[in-house]
Amino acid sequence: MPQRARQVKAPLAQGYLVVDSKKCDGCCSCMLACSLVHEGKENFSLARIQVIMNPYGHYPNGIDVLQCRQCVYAVCLQVCPTGALHTDAENGNVRVIDEEKCLGLQCMKCIDTCPYLPSRIIWNHERNVAMKCDLCISTPYWNENGGLDGKQACIEVCPMEALRLVRKVPKQLDAVGYDVNLRGEGWPSDKT
Amino acid sequence: MTGGYTGKILRLNLTDHATTIIRTSDYEEYGGGIGIGTAIFWDLVQDKSIDAFDPRNVITMMSSPLSGTLTPGACGRTEVNGIGPQAYPIGWFTRGNMGGRFSSQMKFAGWDGIVIEGKSDSPVWVRIVNDEVTFEDASDLWGLDTFTTQEKIWIEANNGQKYGKWIQIGLERGGARTTARPAVVCIGPIGEVKCRIASLIHDAGCAVGQGGFGAVFGAKNLKAISVVGTGSINVAHPQALIEARIWMKKHFGLSPEASYKKEYMPGMISWTQPPGTDPTTEGFRAANLGVAFLAPESSGGVACLGCSRCCRPRLASGEGNQSNCVDYGFYKEWATERFGRYTHDFNRAVDLPQRYGINVYSVRRGIDWLWCLNQRGICGHGKEIDTDLPFNLIGEAKFLEILFDKIVNGKDIGLDLRDGFVRAAEKWGRLEEDWRTGLLMFPYWGYPEHGLDVRTEVLWGYSTIVGDRDMNEHGFNYAFFFYPMQFEDYTDSSKLPITAQEMVEICAEKLIPFEGDPLMLDMSTKNQYSEHLAKLTAWQRYYSRFWLQGIQYCDFGWPNFVNVLGPNKRGLTPEGEVKFFNAVTGKNITFADGMKIGRKVWNIQNAIWTLQGRHRDMLRFAPYIYDLDLDLGNGPRGAHERLIGWGGLFSTYPQPVFEDGQWSFKNVFGRKIDRAKFEEWKTIYYKLEGWDTSTGWPKRSTLERLGLGFVADELERKRKLGRELN
Repeated sequence: MPQRARQVKAPLAQGYLVVDSKKCDGCCSCMLACSLVHEGKENFSLARIQVIMNPYGHYPNGIDVLQCRQCVYAVCLQVCPTGALHTDAENGNVRVIDEEKCLGLQCMKCIDTCPYLPSRIIWNHERNVAMKCDLCISTPYWNENGGLDGKQACIEVCPMEALRLVRKVPKQLDAVGYDVNLRGEGWPSDKT
Repeated sequence: MTGGYTGKILRLNLTDHATTIIRTSDYEEYGGGIGIGTAIFWDLVQDKSIDAFDPRNVITMMSSPLSGTLTPGACGRTEVNGIGPQAYPIGWFTRGNMGGRFSSQMKFAGWDGIVIEGKSDSPVWVRIVNDEVTFEDASDLWGLDTFTTQEKIWIEANNGQKYGKWIQIGLERGGARTTARPAVVCIGPIGEVKCRIASLIHDAGCAVGQGGFGAVFGAKNLKAISVVGTGSINVAHPQALIEARIWMKKHFGLSPEASYKKEYMPGMISWTQPPGTDPTTEGFRAANLGVAFLAPESSGGVACLGCSRCCRPRLASGEGNQSNCVDYGFYKEWATERFGRYTHDFNRAVDLPQRYGINVYSVRRGIDWLWCLNQRGICGHGKEIDTDLPFNLIGEAKFLEILFDKIVNGKDIGLDLRDGFVRAAEKWGRLEEDWRTGLLMFPYWGYPEHGLDVRTEVLWGYSTIVGDRDMNEHGFNYAFFFYPMQFEDYTDSSKLPITAQEMVEICAEKLIPFEGDPLMLDMSTKNQYSEHLAKLTAWQRYYSRFWLQGIQYCDFGWPNFVNVLGPNKRGLTPEGEVKFFNAVTGKNITFADGMKIGRKVWNIQNAIWTLQGRHRDMLRFAPYIYDLDLDLGNGPRGAHERLIGWGGLFSTYPQPVFEDGQWSFKNVFGRKIDRAKFEEWKTIYYKLEGWDTSTGWPKRSTLERLGLGFVADELERKRKLGRELN
């Protein structure tokens, strides 16, 4: 029987993945890298960052990069009945999931209550557990140190340099704080 | 099963709407893509001499073991094989390839490929969601353009769930989900009427253009295939794969914000290219940015799945999205001339051939030809070729729309054009003359000139004529032509960041299994009928049949011979191809191993062409290639008054030559192909391949050495086996 949801006062995460969807070219290498280093195989459905493309979209729309926001008010933390979804104090309070404690199909509350579409908590239908971006703290298939002081596979492979790890808490309203301008001086200026 | 493969190939029988499974392991020795496609075709098509529109024609749509993996250039491409109706005089067994994401979704769904055979009684589309495959009624899609078709299927294929959230696959809670739209390949109205130059279209800007496979889909009453998957692709060595990707970025890559330098060109080396415009980089970026290069609207870039190159645009208007290179170049000059400047009408013109599903290469040279005939009073209202085509509107989208509608409706000259421009010329009694004068720039197998001329860039011509279609492989083209032509005085090596000698030395050491023969790269007139050029042609054919079209490394990035960012200007080839392949599959092959498989596939294909009726006497270019110089003011340029389109951009044609003991880039405009010497070259080439020099047919000894005794048996049964003594 799932335990009742606990009210969790979560300390702020000390790192956030931000993107520039104008810079992104939709190659989805971030998704491939994420699935590869965490699961050891390629599977879009198991990538903890999702890129949704509409080939007929109107720029800057048509490509949405959807990553976990490491929310200040993380509903997923609060609804997890087992504490599987918790802040990792040793790794800058990144919100992570202890899969051994995850109730999987019996619960799925974190997935259902994530306020963003698509849910940033990923359902692993192969292993029957919830997963989320851990900023590469645990990458069984990549011999690199991840987390706040290490590397993130998505950032490392992104050809457009359209992903970055920042320390400052992004604005929490809508997507504005997480979809930012990462274009440098070498980037062609917008025509309009 | 080795990493990279899903283990299953889906076999669709359209005649009785049935599906069966082919084990990938039965064909794994051929690699993937064109290798597996060719081998399956060989096994399933008992009579190889059938017409492209025969229901027994088998079309394969294959992935590679690297599809859907983090391999730049190879992740998203799909190879299509089968008998195509475009080639003249015989629709050869042929190939086409497209980028995008179709093959990846196919593998996520659990399929290494799709084999299509038979013919449906009525229009259908095929819905694939993981291992669930259904044949759906396409009567409401028939007649729709390709973009509308895809948008409708995106809704129908997922039972009306909206995108932007997780799409549940199946009804059960806890089942698989995806955020992706299904990957759809489909035909437009041009394919439905079996026009021989019809394309397959996927997303926007992704097309299997050459070959005419859109017409084969039409003949089979197959409107579209939709696939989406939620499964996993096993990777043998995940650590090695991500390391390879980062290694490539670190040692050979370019920041998207780096300023362009001309020496980046050879091998299309850049890790990526920024979208947007910069007048200093026109030569490099225009081909990649398409309409975004011209349009005064905001734009960003698009890449095929998993690729490190961002070579296609997305635009604020959404029109012209993902179209680059010939997708927009086919009409750029006409549009510019018509309006005197860029107008948004051009975006629409770029989308139209894709919406209708027609091959822009043919359209480009076809319009050039019709215009020339119009100027000469031969084609037009009340003329010998009677048409009410509004030639005064060439350059506008409206002209294309009228032309395509005529083909679709079979009205006016449209009915004849359903057979393509070369067959229309034959029907109109113009083929001989217009091939002689060069007005009809379709120099090989009825395919349009690519913009890269046979007489100057002979490897392009040789590779095409010993094969089945416009080669469309740019490895040497980037290094030897596009790179030097950026420099005003490319003949002075001291002014080049990469000299001709450096270029040749680096390339020559990478030409396994013919490495160490730099004269293979001597494009001088005196060397162009030599065994060296035969070896280079063979290298190109083997490389393409395994690494390019088998493993499906994108031609826009591979081979990567020279790279100024790499160690000592050395590019990724041959180390890169192998590194990614072995990481994914867990095999331990060498580059040379891959080339051997490529040779094997190439030999099966020559056997198929032989069974289709090929003989060495048929390997001839159009007469103007032999009889007219390619030079400004002469030959086809003179005949056309003004060469419209891609080729019109080139006022010089550099190639590397070895003269007086030195390498240099030299302008080779002004030469033609010598008939007699080319015939002698064919003999040299056939000897090198181990084929009968009198017929071009494969010999048993050669086939058996390659492990293809079963091919020799079939040829012998059909009395088509080459003689050993020749």
